[in-house]
Amino acid sequence: MKKLVGILLMVGIISLTLVGCGGGKTVGDGPFAGVEIKFADAGWDSIKFHNAVAGTIAQGVWGYSWSEVSGSTPVTFQGLTTGEIDAYMEIWTDNIASYKDDLANGMFHELGINFDDNYQGIYVPRYVIEGDAERGIEASAPDLKYIWDLKNYPDVFPDDENPGMGRVYGAIPGWEVDEILHKKYLHYGLDENFIYFRPGSEAALATAITSAYEKGEPVAAYYWEPTWLLGKYDMVLLEDEPYNPDTYLNGETEMPAVKVTIAVSNKFQDDGNEELIAFLSKYRTSSQLTSDALAYMQDTGSNYVDTAKWFLNENSQLLDEWLEPEDAQKMKDFLNK
Amino acid sequence: MDTEWLYDFPFKLPINLEAIDDAVLSLSIKFEGFFALIKTLLGDLVNFINSILNYIPWFILVILVVIVAWRISGKINKGILYGAMLVLIGALGLWSLMYETLSIILASVIISLIFGFPIGILLSTSDRLDRLVRPILDTMQTMPVFVYLIPAMMFFGLGKPPAVIATTVYAVVPMIRLTNHGIRQIDHEVVEASLAFGSTKMQSLIKVQIPQALPTIMTGVNQTLMMAMSMVVTTSMIGASGLGMEVLLAVNRIEMGRGLVSGTAVVIIAVILDRLTQGLVQRSEVKTDGE
Repeated sequence: MKKLVGILLMVGIISLTLVGCGGGKTVGDGPFAGVEIKFADAGWDSIKFHNAVAGTIAQGVWGYSWSEVSGSTPVTFQGLTTGEIDAYMEIWTDNIASYKDDLANGMFHELGINFDDNYQGIYVPRYVIEGDAERGIEASAPDLKYIWDLKNYPDVFPDDENPGMGRVYGAIPGWEVDEILHKKYLHYGLDENFIYFRPGSEAALATAITSAYEKGEPVAAYYWEPTWLLGKYDMVLLEDEPYNPDTYLNGETEMPAVKVTIAVSNKFQDDGNEELIAFLSKYRTSSQLTSDALAYMQDTGSNYVDTAKWFLNENSQLLDEWLEPEDAQKMKDFLNK
Repeated sequence: MDTEWLYDFPFKLPINLEAIDDAVLSLSIKFEGFFALIKTLLGDLVNFINSILNYIPWFILVILVVIVAWRISGKINKGILYGAMLVLIGALGLWSLMYETLSIILASVIISLIFGFPIGILLSTSDRLDRLVRPILDTMQTMPVFVYLIPAMMFFGLGKPPAVIATTVYAVVPMIRLTNHGIRQIDHEVVEASLAFGSTKMQSLIKVQIPQALPTIMTGVNQTLMMAMSMVVTTSMIGASGLGMEVLLAVNRIEMGRGLVSGTAVVIIAVILDRLTQGLVQRSEVKTDGE
């Protein structure tokens, strides 16, 4: 008897499962229904946001499905060159040492520039320079304006591990900008009384800034835009010599805005996908647009896909720029569904 | 037929995650003085060990390793091998980085011993306590490191102090477990005999139980060292300089050669520390068996 009940139960479960499979995931309709695009997710907010925007459009217009492959910058970039990742929405070209060589060797296809109006460098909280009456913080380094001014304030930014020295947080180890910043640190003689502290990871760097800011303590750290962190906190970029393309790599001048490009793998290009690639080639946003969207997400607590839909509704002119007229219309209908 | 209900979970707990974030932040502000004190103590300990290491000329350390390895293993060629491996680290230009890494590891191991040994003894006295603490120990070893490292960095800043804390949380566990286990596995009759001969519980613990459990406890020390070594690269991700940072730099730049060189140095240190402490385990075994 017991056995019979067991068998009946099993049959019941199996049949239910089969029914479940039949009515499972809905796939969008269109010529590429069921084809999955793998986007690179290198870990920060804005790339995930751009993945969601491009993925939503690919789904709405052509019926692709999409997913993300997560990893660090070098790992995901490696994935792009080997074809395990199809599309990379934000390649910070300066942070990948081998970018130019790999591009020249045809390891992947660069489609265009996502945005190139961003800033990066050493930031300090505004209250360090101007004070903050509301929070009762006095300006601890009122004359701080240029990077080399830091030399006058080692006591304001103390390094706990080396008494008497100041600490400036550098970039993430391995990013090309880390080398440039270190050269800059030597070039301006900051090594006399400052430690160039490598934070080790993005999480650590963000935590260092966040905890200092929330406590109202001074901190001098590398960061970059667009990020939620610089959207949320009022930080000032320390000035530098005007940009000079010949010497900035030696750390002697300010850094240019980084070219943030979009690329697809050779495999993805060879597999067809012409329309999607044509769209990605025209895809272009700006640092400001991205920051606004990230701020919206931070404020409302909504997820990336909903933020992407909100973004496309707010900036529907972008759809007309990026897509053929009929596809743009199709996408607008999809958004209003 | 609508079968969604079969696959979608029926309810979701409304946890206010932001409240946790805010709590951690305000905690870090409220108890700033307390955390700063711990941070200074940990930093001083690491710096102290580092300065002792730096005080020793390199060839003295090499000779020391050769002699100790020789004495422990009883074979001169083993001593020479370990000495040569150590010389290799210096020849690769990683000597001072090795000291930085070693000082973090030794600081963590010292703290692990200070906490782990008494806790392990305490656990061996009570089955109930043992049952209570065991899941906590499991959590300490399996909780993804960054989950508690972010709050740790809020409290203690970046660099060596949180690195010591993270390493200790991970490495103290085998010390506790094996001390506990070592004392528990002693023959009951031995303990009873010691009590019957009039020793107090404390005397029995110090003079009979701990010496009997010494081989297992020494294995615990060895395991704690190895666990601490395995955290070297992870802690560099929160700004602890040393060999781990060198590995991280190489890995992040996909510089395989540099990664291999610095990785090899980590392995050499681990092997030497492992063999030396394992030698101590065997010596303590021989001694107790002989008595």
